[in-house]
Parts: sequence; C-alpha cells; structure tokens
Amino acid sequence: MTLLQLHNVTKTFGEIRALNGIDFSITEGEIVGLVGPNGAGKTTLFNLLSGRFRPSSGRIIFAGTEITGLKPHAICRLGISRTFQSSRPFAKMTALDNVIVGCVFGKGFYLRPRREDKCTALEILGMVGISHKAETLAGDFTLSELRRLDLARALATRPRLLLLDEVAAGFSPVAVKQAVKLVLRVRDRGVTMLIIDHFLNLSLKVSDRLIALDFGEKIAEGPPGEIMKNRKVIKAYLGLRHEEEHE
Amino acid sequence: MQNGEEPNKIISIEKNSKPRVKRRRVDEGGLVLLFFVLLLLPVLVRHDDYILQVFTHALLLATLALAWNILGISGSISLGHAAFFGAGAYTSALLSLESGISPWLTIPLGGLLSSGLGLVMGLICMRLRGAYFALATLAFVEIPRVITDNWDGLTRGSLGLVGLPGLPSLHLGSWYIHIGSSVAASYYLVLIHALFLSGLVGFIFHSNLGIALQAIREEEIAAQSIGIRIERFRLFSLLVSAFFAGVSGACYAHMVRYIGPELVYGIHFSAAPMIFALCGGRLTIVGPALAALILYPVDQFIFHPLLPAGHEFLYGAVLVLVVIYLPRGFWGSIRKAP
Repeated sequence: MTLLQLHNVTKTFGEIRALNGIDFSITEGEIVGLVGPNGAGKTTLFNLLSGRFRPSSGRIIFAGTEITGLKPHAICRLGISRTFQSSRPFAKMTALDNVIVGCVFGKGFYLRPRREDKCTALEILGMVGISHKAETLAGDFTLSELRRLDLARALATRPRLLLLDEVAAGFSPVAVKQAVKLVLRVRDRGVTMLIIDHFLNLSLKVSDRLIALDFGEKIAEGPPGEIMKNRKVIKAYLGLRHEEEHE
Repeated sequence: MQNGEEPNKIISIEKNSKPRVKRRRVDEGGLVLLFFVLLLLPVLVRHDDYILQVFTHALLLATLALAWNILGISGSISLGHAAFFGAGAYTSALLSLESGISPWLTIPLGGLLSSGLGLVMGLICMRLRGAYFALATLAFVEIPRVITDNWDGLTRGSLGLVGLPGLPSLHLGSWYIHIGSSVAASYYLVLIHALFLSGLVGFIFHSNLGIALQAIREEEIAAQSIGIRIERFRLFSLLVSAFFAGVSGACYAHMVRYIGPELVYGIHFSAAPMIFALCGGRLTIVGPALAALILYPVDQFIFHPLLPAGHEFLYGAVLVLVVIYLPRGFWGSIRKAP
C-alpha cells in the first residue's frame, strides 16, 4: 500500500528554488534513503513533509489524506513524526519526560497523567538504549544519546512514517552499526522510514531504495547498488572532473 | 555506552532517584512549617496591624507572582502584568462603586476583563518570542493605562478612585466576620487565595498541560513536531495568568480602597512578579510566592526604615545576585524538581 505520495512538490524561498517538481512515493514498510550533497534540499523536503513549511506548489498525500500545508501538530497526529538534524531536546526536562510528552500529545491529548505513558516511555528509552539515563536531564546528554532521545521522542508519538534527519552523522563505525540495528528494530515495529543520509553511512546498509537529490531536483531513484553507480549521483557528490576520470 | 541490546529492559527509576526523595522531604517539611507559621501569624505577631498589613501585601504580591508564573512556565517573560493587575482593579472598583454590586462578584469579573485584555495582548504579542515578547508586553501596559487616564467620565482619570467599598462582611448564620475592617480577616482571605493559586499552579505543573508548557518553553519546533498546538497552549496560559493577575488587582483595590492609574498600572506591579519569580525560581511551583513572602517584608521592615528614598534598590541588588549566582532561583537551587 502506498503510504506517502508527492506530486510535483516545489518550494521556493524568494528567488531560490529549494525544491523543484519532486515526485515520488513510499510504500508501507519500506526504508527509503534520501541522499544528496549539501544544499540539495533534503532537509527542506523534511520540513515540507512535517508541516514546518508550506509547499509553494504541488501536493503531498499521506495514507490517502492530503496533508499539503497542514500544521506540524496535525501532521504528527496523522502519523508522521520526525527527528532533527541537530537534536532539539527539551533540555531542562528529564529524558523520561521528553518521551512522555510524545506519548501524551502524539495523538491528541488528555489532561491527567497516566501510568501507561511512563511505562511506554521507559520501554521506548530501553529500545533506543538509554533507559539507564531516564532521570537525567536531556541537556546533559552526549551527541549520540541526544540522537537516540530524539528518535525515542518521535517514536513515542506512534508514527506510521518516521523521518530521520542525519541520524548517524558524525558517528563512529561502531555507533553506525548500532544505529543500523536500531533502525531495523524500528522497522520490525511496523514503522515506515524515510532517512536523510548525506554521508550514506547508514542508508546504504538499511535502505530498500535510495532517492538522490541535487539542487532541488530528483536526479535518481532506485536500489542502493544502482544509485551508487549512477553518473548523475557521482557527479553531484564528487564533481565533473572525477566523473570524466572514471570514463 | 549501552547499545540497546535489551530492548525491553526497564531500569527501576526509584533506585536512581533515592537521594532526591530524601531531600524533597526536607523541602516539604519546610513548606509545612511555613504553612503553619502563616496560619498562626496573626497570633504570633499579637495582632500588630502594621506587621499584618505588610504580610497581607506580601501575600498579595505572592498571588501576583504565582499568576505571572502560569505564563512563565511556557517560557514567556511578561513585563506587562500591571496591565492585568490594573484592569482587574479598575473593573472591580468601578463596578462596585457605580452599580453597587458586591465585591465578591466584581472581583472575579475584574479577573474576566483582565483575561479579555490578555486575549488582546496574546493576539498582538504572541507571535513574538523572548526579549521581543517582553518588550512588547512592557509597551502594552500603556494601552489600558492611557485609556484609564483619559476616560475621565468613567474612571475619573488621573484623580483615581477614592472610597472604594471594602470587602463586605461574611455572614454564616449568626456568626460573621468583618473582612473589610479586620486586618486579620483580609490577611486570611489573601492567604486562602495564595494557597488556592499554589494548588492550581501545582496542578498545572503536574498535569499534562504543564508538561506541554514546559516542552514549549524548551523547544517550540520540537514541541510542535510531536503534536502540541503551541499557539493554543501559549494563549491559554496567558489567559489564565491574566485572569488571576486581575483577581489580585481587584483584591488590592478593595483592600487599599484607593486606586489611581499611575499606581495600579505602575511598573511596580509589572516588575514585582517577574523579580519574585526569577528570585524564587521560575521553574518551581511555590518559589515565586516564597520570594515575595521573604523579599517584601525584608524590604518593608529593614530597608524602608534605613533608606526611605531608595529602599527598592534591594530588589535590583537581589535580582542581580540571584541571576549570577543562583540562576535557577533560590528555591529552584534547593529543590531540583518543580
């Protein structure tokens, strides 16, 4: 079943075309990697999908519902959740409370705190591997812990589609391995994922499909192996001269 | 670093938080002690009217600080709560003076009008954040002040309103209390209001509403992305905050029985709640009220006799010291949890 569809989505900031006529779709259960050099428009696309920006034109359809231009909270309640390139923790709250907020507000909200939310939050913290830090203030976390917390908070909203923005950037090879395991574990819970991965250290290992962007255009789409050999992608990442040398 | 090999392992958090639980008992003991001191204060000071009046005013400022902090939880610093305090005071004063309605009814009506004013402030200022919001609220106070000052026919302008009805007596069968004329009775009335507000702030803090407001304070974009309607929550906290600031102003009007635009819309009632909240601890429930209960009496009993002209320098000095050395406020430093 098609979970997400983009039709001719364009976003301009003044004169700049950050995204130009993007079309693609994601099937439920897939892990799709979104790759491309700096400034290709990956994060802008996430901001459109999560409702932070409104597309200049085009339509976004999620699970049969048009979500173009909806507010972030509404999109979250429909089932799209995201993490941020630079984590945005609730710094003066404990990790547990960070995740509880997601549990409570992810699908509407109720006033009275419930015991289940605490249990669910602890379980999710356990899944991302930071349950031993449940009572630590998020402001005291390391980079890798912050990314895990961001992921835990996004998962707490019970998303159907999870948008992961540079979740493994700057990670050591060991940490990348852990991240791969984690992403696969999230998929086992039935969550579809779109992963931004500039350095390809994560998406090559987990993605069913890659979508490559450059200068706001989709330049390629297909299985990881194929995309890595795609000329346009190589050119976008490494420049023209390198491509000529390969010929 | 643990890599999450055991997905369902739940580590008991009671284990980690034991030391904090112990400390919390000491704080709570202190609060209980303070409660009894406040309850018995009229007896302890042998009904000395001056001392009681100072503490009544300190409690009134405490209610204003608590009301201010309902907005403060969401991270918005208001420098304009005098607008609500003054509007509440004038509404209640005019209604009771002109139409003879009992202050028991006009005081909540004063709160409602302040809430309406809060809605106007919200629509104008809520798109701003941080220092910009604070400055806009500071300027906002001028709107009700100028209206009050110039609408001579209704408000008697800068002359102010004199001879306001005091709080009427409470009749309980054959037994009644003269709240208007008894200093102790108005003291208890304000004490009840302060306790009620502390309870309300505590409820907000511990409900999911409080957790949303805190999330908004910490990271608006993230809060939005996990389903929180930030505009609504911010506006809601402003409306509730404005309501209770208006109630405080209305109580003030009927206790002091004189109000003027320069007095109730003055910078004093904008700055005081902020100073008390920052000194006591903005992230705590009762910190703002405790700061009012300590600082105002210290100011009145010690600094006012020493420096009649410049006694308010105390607030500035304490605020500077607290911001530098105890950024979480003194109660926030003693107690980590709200």
